[in-house]
Amino acid sequence: MTFDIVVILMFLGAFSAYLISKASLKAGAYATTVFSLGALAVLLMGRSEIGSEFSVLFMNFEVTVIGWYFSGVMVLVYAMTSFFNSFWMDKMMYPGSYNFLYLFSLAGTLGLFFASDLITLFIFWEVVVWSSTFIIPMGKSRRAAVVYYTISSIGSMATLYGIMLVYRISGTLVIQEAFVPLKEDPLTATVVFVIFVMAGLTKIGIFPFHIWLPLAHGSAPHTFSPVLSGGLVKMGAFIAYMSVAILPAYEAFEGSLKIMGIPLQLYFLMILGAISIVLGTLMAIKQEDAKKLIAYSSVANGGYILIGILMMDQLSFAGSMMHLFNHAIASAAAFLAIAVVAYRTGTTKISELGGMIHRMPLTYLTYLIAIISLAGIPPMGGFVSKWLIIQGLADRGLMFMALAAFFGSIGSFLYVFRPLAAVFLGQLKPEHEHLKSEPLMMKIPMVILMVLILYFGVLPKWLLGIIGEIQVAAGIEPVMMSGNTILAVNGVLNTLNVFMIFGFGFLISLIIFLLMQKSRRVGLMDTYTSAEFIYTPELYHYAGAFYAPFERLYQNHPSVEKFLGAIAWKFHELGTVVNALFFSHKPAVTVFWTSVILVMITLGGAGI
Amino acid sequence: MNLVNFAYGLLLLLAAFVFQTTLTGINRKVVARLQRRRGPKFYQQFIDIFKALSKGSTTHGWVFDFGVIMALGGIMATAIFIPFGPLKAVPGMDNIFIIAYVLAVGMLGMAMSASGSGNPWASIGVSRALTNMLAYDIPFMMVVFGLIFAFDSSSLSGLAAIQREGGLLGWNVLRFPLGGIVAMISLQGMLGKKPFDSFIAPAEIASGPMVEYGGRHLGMLFLLHEYSTFIEVSLIVHLFFGGGATVLEFMVKYAVIYTFLNLVSNVLPRFKIDQAVTFFYKVPLAMAVVQTFLIIFLGMGVA
Repeated sequence: MTFDIVVILMFLGAFSAYLISKASLKAGAYATTVFSLGALAVLLMGRSEIGSEFSVLFMNFEVTVIGWYFSGVMVLVYAMTSFFNSFWMDKMMYPGSYNFLYLFSLAGTLGLFFASDLITLFIFWEVVVWSSTFIIPMGKSRRAAVVYYTISSIGSMATLYGIMLVYRISGTLVIQEAFVPLKEDPLTATVVFVIFVMAGLTKIGIFPFHIWLPLAHGSAPHTFSPVLSGGLVKMGAFIAYMSVAILPAYEAFEGSLKIMGIPLQLYFLMILGAISIVLGTLMAIKQEDAKKLIAYSSVANGGYILIGILMMDQLSFAGSMMHLFNHAIASAAAFLAIAVVAYRTGTTKISELGGMIHRMPLTYLTYLIAIISLAGIPPMGGFVSKWLIIQGLADRGLMFMALAAFFGSIGSFLYVFRPLAAVFLGQLKPEHEHLKSEPLMMKIPMVILMVLILYFGVLPKWLLGIIGEIQVAAGIEPVMMSGNTILAVNGVLNTLNVFMIFGFGFLISLIIFLLMQKSRRVGLMDTYTSAEFIYTPELYHYAGAFYAPFERLYQNHPSVEKFLGAIAWKFHELGTVVNALFFSHKPAVTVFWTSVILVMITLGGAGI
Repeated sequence: MNLVNFAYGLLLLLAAFVFQTTLTGINRKVVARLQRRRGPKFYQQFIDIFKALSKGSTTHGWVFDFGVIMALGGIMATAIFIPFGPLKAVPGMDNIFIIAYVLAVGMLGMAMSASGSGNPWASIGVSRALTNMLAYDIPFMMVVFGLIFAFDSSSLSGLAAIQREGGLLGWNVLRFPLGGIVAMISLQGMLGKKPFDSFIAPAEIASGPMVEYGGRHLGMLFLLHEYSTFIEVSLIVHLFFGGGATVLEFMVKYAVIYTFLNLVSNVLPRFKIDQAVTFFYKVPLAMAVVQTFLIIFLGMGVA
């Protein structure tokens, strides 16, 4: 019974947050925190009620394990980010609406994950799309919202057509039953699969639908970017899961051509995932804006998640589900760290910053831990999930996906390190000399996220247990663990041991360091300067075009944006021609077309 | 895992340090002979390390110190995972992907500390080092991927044992010659030896990441260098040269490979960083993809 209350309460909460904001903006912002934390608490306590069904008005819901898991991830990201809302209230044009839409989109995602019939699913999908469309232009640019909405409506329309098609064939809208007749008809199944999965791809931001991510993530309000990247993107993963697991794709495509045991339809999508990994990595490396950089990294991580979901196996699928959680919290933490910097300095441009560690060490630490997880380095959560995905790929011998996965993982060292070096380390600019440290309310979510990232990297048992339940529900073999050891086909991973040995190495290293002579503290400008006298710290900072030699290798790359831009231009040209031919103000043109029409009528009449 | 494992780990660290540092010393002598010099004493490397450790130094803030500690700690932890011939400090932890990624902790620590010094030369060096890593690691991982698929194991000692069953001809370097060549080239990149040493390039960017270090910091980075060399060369010995049934066998193989790469390094000039990337993506990556393709689709070389 708890879940229907939570969905309804979230909608009511959205309205009340708006009303509270009318009285006091800060109180309205805190209301978003209270409501989202409340939702998180109810979700965690209501785990025993998985499997319950309920209806609100004409909408039907069912709490599945996967829906519960996804909504948990989503609410966690929303709750953590909401701590930041109060700091941006005076900077937004419509702060009351922001608070309203913030909770409204959260309510929408909850409804989406619990929906048990396709119409409910579609309604909540639209709720989320619309509410986020109105939040994005409150940041830097309106164009971002237009692109976001355009790409989202491709997804929405695809879902709607998919739903209609499924209804025509099976005559029911209940998710569990609607897809059953499709198994006998591979061709229609392919069409339905492509349509549904396309909706998923637009939301995860898989190539060629990735163009909205950097625009929307990069220019949304600083408090909404973490939610977009950590939360809303995962809706796409949910739809992709539905199309693969509930259809179920492997049974429906039993007869089609297979590559390494993967049906061609799925293999093609995996290639899209692989392209997204490579493209996201390469583009992230060359970004000059910290938020856009993390946005492109979301494209790359979306590729991992998609590939894992499409594998539908014991290891990669588990890795993908875990990566979804790890990426959500790590990317939210990274975005929040950048938001703190933006709050204090007013910019997210990498080359305008530097030396932030000397003013906000906790933010630095948050960013560090987040990127270690994003890059998949132990002992953080991201390592476990990437390890699982790669083990699964190695088991099946999917070499091209693995190639992309390796490129994405090593490439992520490059792009995550760049803000670390140029924003947080290096020279502190004179104008940032007197910056204050991060406010207490910002410290709370950052510390919580740090602890979570580390905890699930060292002790992933609880999380993998839930993922095992999801796998059982989807009809595949669950990921196996004995104690803290994850048992894969080709090897084992004991995360606790990795952590302990790492700690041991660190301890020895610390002892060596402490035993030796104490060092003398010198300033940042007191460095080797090739015998030059340098007095300007802002010029003595390596930040712009960080990987210039590497970026030069692919500077003339083709891009979807350019391609779409070219199409738009051609369309514009066509319009100009049509205008010049038919809608001219010159009398001669009017006379010409009138006579042509008259001639045609006459000739046509003669024919009759 | 219990205290005994940690004690073994400590012993392994000591052994690896003594072995690799002696070998570095001997190699300094070998290189000197190549250049018609007498060269330093074979234990000169020990003297250098301990001298650096004992000297005073300057620091640029807590992250400068913390990064060095994290780097050496991460690399030492990785070294503990490596089997020293047949000896393993912690059983069941020598998974190749674990090693490859734990190794990155050390790299990240080092990069962080270097950038934390505030010296732009250091950041340039780090940017080159990371680009270099993106170049050499992908062909290498690709070949390793093929090996794992071929033998259904991602444990270093497991893969080494499988090779030893087939005797000398069972070595992966002979079974998968393309992959073996790729691995050797990648190893040259991992070790930062010429022609892939643009990230330390003393004459151009003032030793890159190393520019600000002295005293105990520098001494610890020397240690780090010895350990990372130990890890990287051991990886190749285990993956492609059959590991070692005895400690001696492992040490001999290791010494031969290391000295060979050092000799190669000393007769080559230096690639620019973009040349290194282009080279790795044109030649070794293509070879690695062909090799992996042969393994996965044709089963070539798999017994």
